[in-house]
Amino acid sequence: MILENYVPLTGDDWYQRRRQDTEGEFFRQVAAQAGRGKVHENSDGGATRQGVYLFTADGTLLGHTIATRSVERTYQVLQRGLRQWHTLPKDKRQPGAVHVEAPGTHDRRYTRTPPANGLIVHVHARILDKDAHGRWRKGSCDVLGGDQASHDRLWLTEAEWRSLIPPDPKVDTSAQVPAAVLDRMTRYHLVDNTRGEPAMWKPEEVRTRELTLTVTEVTPERVRLQLVGAALMATHSDLAQAERGFDARLEGIIEYDVARQTMSRFDLVAVGHPWGESKLSPRARAGRQPFGVAFELATGDTPANRVPPQGARNMAAYLGTAR
Amino acid sequence: MPPQLQGAAQPQEGPGDAADALHILHTLIKPQHGEERWATISWKTDLTQARLQAAAEGKPILLWEMDGHPLGCT
Repeated sequence: MILENYVPLTGDDWYQRRRQDTEGEFFRQVAAQAGRGKVHENSDGGATRQGVYLFTADGTLLGHTIATRSVERTYQVLQRGLRQWHTLPKDKRQPGAVHVEAPGTHDRRYTRTPPANGLIVHVHARILDKDAHGRWRKGSCDVLGGDQASHDRLWLTEAEWRSLIPPDPKVDTSAQVPAAVLDRMTRYHLVDNTRGEPAMWKPEEVRTRELTLTVTEVTPERVRLQLVGAALMATHSDLAQAERGFDARLEGIIEYDVARQTMSRFDLVAVGHPWGESKLSPRARAGRQPFGVAFELATGDTPANRVPPQGARNMAAYLGTAR
Repeated sequence: MPPQLQGAAQPQEGPGDAADALHILHTLIKPQHGEERWATISWKTDLTQARLQAAAEGKPILLWEMDGHPLGCT
């Protein structure tokens, strides 16, 4: 397999092209060899450089293609890159031939790390349909890949996730999910990101939202809570005039491991009928079509799990700490 | 009015049925087995770490760069 010949790496161009540090400069000089932007940019980063880049550890470009969903085209580029690699002198290719310098300081404006002892929750969205018996099934659309599940992560601080667990839980007692948590979930995660970068909801576009936690089980080992609620987001207070919107019902279950003092389950589903589309995610299905969002606890400290939420580009706004 | 999790409102459902409906829909929305071959690759997300590995192993780097992280948006 051709990927066995490469070290596979992913990146978010929004951060990489803006960062003013060794890493950002290295990336921009690789991209510049492909005719994508300048090495020296101010912090707006210039134009997008998204695509596939093949290069050596010291930054010599071997191949490039703009972003494409064509498997064939990508495969050809990977093959050409390998051929280019093998034209390099052997003493440039052998293990240990290249010295990689330490990265130095990081541009903290474009560096994101999960909150200490916080919770990372996978968030997937998918278009849905119903079969002839009224049962949910995967939806279909005419956008290549638009029927697949999207990916994002919800970050909660330690104080936030602990606030979901009552200090003295008793079965059948209820409480509302704290506003800061619910605001983040609705504004940044009840969005349609199945075809591209979604528009997040402005605070005033969240028209109604409630999510009630009810304790359903308390044992020496665990506390289980049920989540039930609803949310309505719309770009206009008069729904008939709203270009975009999403009315969602939410249901879920969370569990707290008493002995380990950790959250052990965070299963939540939001299902409803969004309408409209945003600039970077065009070609939505016409009208109001069923759509679902699933939340699930991330497990393991993997690079993929540490990828920041899409909404974390403005970290202060995402965490609700902006003044 | 948003739909119930199951196909239609079913007030006769017991707690077990509701949990089943949640599980079915939760599973349906998440990525399905075999649906995302790209996700089976052990992608790195740190450029410097990738460069160090490439130098140590004598390999080139394949960077998949998107606006919206490939592993975290769409």
